[in-house]
Amino acid sequence: MSRYAKILLALALLAIWQAVCSLGLISPVIVASPINIVRAATSEWPEFLGALGYTSLLILAGIVGAWGLGIVVGAALGSSELLARATAPILSSILAVPLVVWYPILMVWVGIGAESKIIYGMLSGFFPIALATLNAVQHYDRRYVTLARAMGANTVQLFVRFIIPMTLPTIVAGLRVGTAFTVIGIIVAEMLASTAGLGFLISYYRTMFDTGHVYLGISLALAITFVINLGLTSLEKHMGRWRSLELSARTSR
Amino acid sequence: MASHEPAQRRLCAVIPPPFIVLRIALILLILGFWEFAPRFNLIDAANFPSLSTVVHTLFELFREQRFLDSLLATAGRVVLAFVIAAPISVVIGIIIAETVFLDRIVSPYIYLAMAVPQSIFLPIFIFAFGIGTLEKTIYGMTHVALVVLINTIAAVRSVPSGYLLAARSFGATPVQIYWKFYVPAMLPSLLTGLRLGLILDVIGVLVAEMYASQDGLGQLILSWSESFRMKEMLGTVLLISICTIAVNELLRGWENHLGRWRASLSER
Amino acid sequence: MARVIEVIKVGKTYPHPSGPVYALDNISFSVEDGQFVSIVGPSGCGKSTLLQILSGLLNATDGEVKVDGRLVTSPVPGTIAVVFQEALLLPWKTALANVELPLELRGVATEQRRRRSLEMLDLVGLTHAVGRYPHELSGGMRQRVSIARGLAPDPRIVMMDEPFGSLDEQTRTRMGDELLRIWETTRKTIILITHSLSEAIYLSDVVEVMGRDPGRILEEVRIDLPRPRRLDMMGSEVFGQLRNRIWHLIGDQAGTTVD
Repeated sequence: MSRYAKILLALALLAIWQAVCSLGLISPVIVASPINIVRAATSEWPEFLGALGYTSLLILAGIVGAWGLGIVVGAALGSSELLARATAPILSSILAVPLVVWYPILMVWVGIGAESKIIYGMLSGFFPIALATLNAVQHYDRRYVTLARAMGANTVQLFVRFIIPMTLPTIVAGLRVGTAFTVIGIIVAEMLASTAGLGFLISYYRTMFDTGHVYLGISLALAITFVINLGLTSLEKHMGRWRSLELSARTSR
Repeated sequence: MASHEPAQRRLCAVIPPPFIVLRIALILLILGFWEFAPRFNLIDAANFPSLSTVVHTLFELFREQRFLDSLLATAGRVVLAFVIAAPISVVIGIIIAETVFLDRIVSPYIYLAMAVPQSIFLPIFIFAFGIGTLEKTIYGMTHVALVVLINTIAAVRSVPSGYLLAARSFGATPVQIYWKFYVPAMLPSLLTGLRLGLILDVIGVLVAEMYASQDGLGQLILSWSESFRMKEMLGTVLLISICTIAVNELLRGWENHLGRWRASLSER
Repeated sequence: MARVIEVIKVGKTYPHPSGPVYALDNISFSVEDGQFVSIVGPSGCGKSTLLQILSGLLNATDGEVKVDGRLVTSPVPGTIAVVFQEALLLPWKTALANVELPLELRGVATEQRRRRSLEMLDLVGLTHAVGRYPHELSGGMRQRVSIARGLAPDPRIVMMDEPFGSLDEQTRTRMGDELLRIWETTRKTIILITHSLSEAIYLSDVVEVMGRDPGRILEEVRIDLPRPRRLDMMGSEVFGQLRNRIWHLIGDQAGTTVD
């Protein structure tokens, strides 16, 4: 479907949405009409803008932490076969645990301020990223290291031109999952217990049954995820040739 | 490899491979730290009660009606959501995957939905269904449905088309083809979807209970946090963690067993 | 003719709980400048290990390898090029970029290395494929890119470990002729490891025949066939006799897999 067709479709859906609400086909207590959302936005935009900024900062911090810790630990564990085989199942088992139930414990230890959310976000994203990095480092094709040595590459060149490009596709896949977990984690944490941020506003207006503002908050949260996804996709595209080529090389063998 | 001395050989048979030893050692180290650090006051015992205290508290909790009621409420919602949503999603998934035109139309939207964090929509569910069991079960159902749907479609697509050819050349009837070829080929990926669905189901129900609920483990944990009841919190959280890990490993083991014919390089 | 490579009593021993494993034992031979030498032998005789030692990727436990009178203990990328059985091209780089790689690693200027790489790709007959990615190339083409990459730094010596092993018979024969053509044009010293006796005899001046357990040189066979070689020589009596001789040398060893 062409771009214009997609935009037209979106606008059409928006119109239907508004029509359904205006005609009273659906209760305004459950669904807010687009107009109500815009109304909420115009009346409370400083509040929501501030919350958007606050939450975005927390998410950024969480992502940096999750990426940094995840890649470093994953690479360290992956560099030794013994460590990798011993710890990989532990990491992957932890992925099954609903980390959200650990958040109240974190709240008791660190309070309900920004720190607890950032830490929680970091932890949420850490495990998939560490696991992916571990696998990437363990399983890249060692024959290319021999090739690099034969060509006289020094250690820096070996890493930058051989090892990193080879491991990147797998690591980026992990980054995608981990980043999603971090974003969701921080927003949920804000919804559960917070004094600021988008999640807090969503919860606050929910208790007031103010659908307009709740939908506004949700839309903004969705906007954040959308932007982040866009960023990750462009990151992937930048290296994307590697990934798609690697995949197609494997399948064409 | 050349043979060892007889004594060495017997010893090698008894000692597990080094990476398993390391894994067990790491786990024991962490558990040991949990047990002894609070005891020797390396860590504040009020904030971080020792493992034995926590386990003991957990056993005590099982005698309390309120805890049992909450446990039952949560488990009930999880199971109900799964039992209703999973089969329906599998069926719909198979239908979509087998119908080319449906597949083309619907698939992009399903993948789009996957990119959206479902937790954000919790307030809408509350607006629509209140904060009782109905709301939590339906919320859990949406979690199950999406993941199972996607994985079922992938499972159907993963059946090598060569199977059909081979089956027909044997003169198999369509029913035979379906049960003897398709289903076993789909099963591992299907099971993956069900396993992930269950995990997301548990997360969904617990988040909903922590957010706004009158009962359930999630609500219990959150209320304990307000009164700083660390022992009870850690006990329940430990219970949930162990149970989810156990179920996950069991299902994964079953998946691998069913899928052992797959020559997978990157499967983990 | 100068002796470019001298292999002096090279041995490789691996420690093992139940006793040392002698992968290579007392290997000595020399290679003259511009010669084409093949090394053949049964599976597991240590041909690849020997090549790794000759190229400096591995260290011998006994003896030494000298190139131009200098000891080889680590790779010498400017002098010795290695071509492996799998082409090992970087999948995210084009054929041209792959050929440029060794020059890039050594800091050669862009303009220069581009020119040189295009030359090499022309030499192996792949000018039409410079912009393609490895997954778009056939097995034979990939191996040719790999050879071009090896030749890019203009090494004196090219060592190849069963470079045509993963190719089908027709392509293999064609590649052999290609290799001869390249060799005649560039006059490099070539060491080729192969398990195909016919290939070894057809291409080389000298064939070192190895045996296993332990890996050692059984005999050095000079190939007195006229150059340039033609495929119909493979049916000649001389060729047959050489092949028989080598075949028997190897065949007397247990567990041989030779064609």
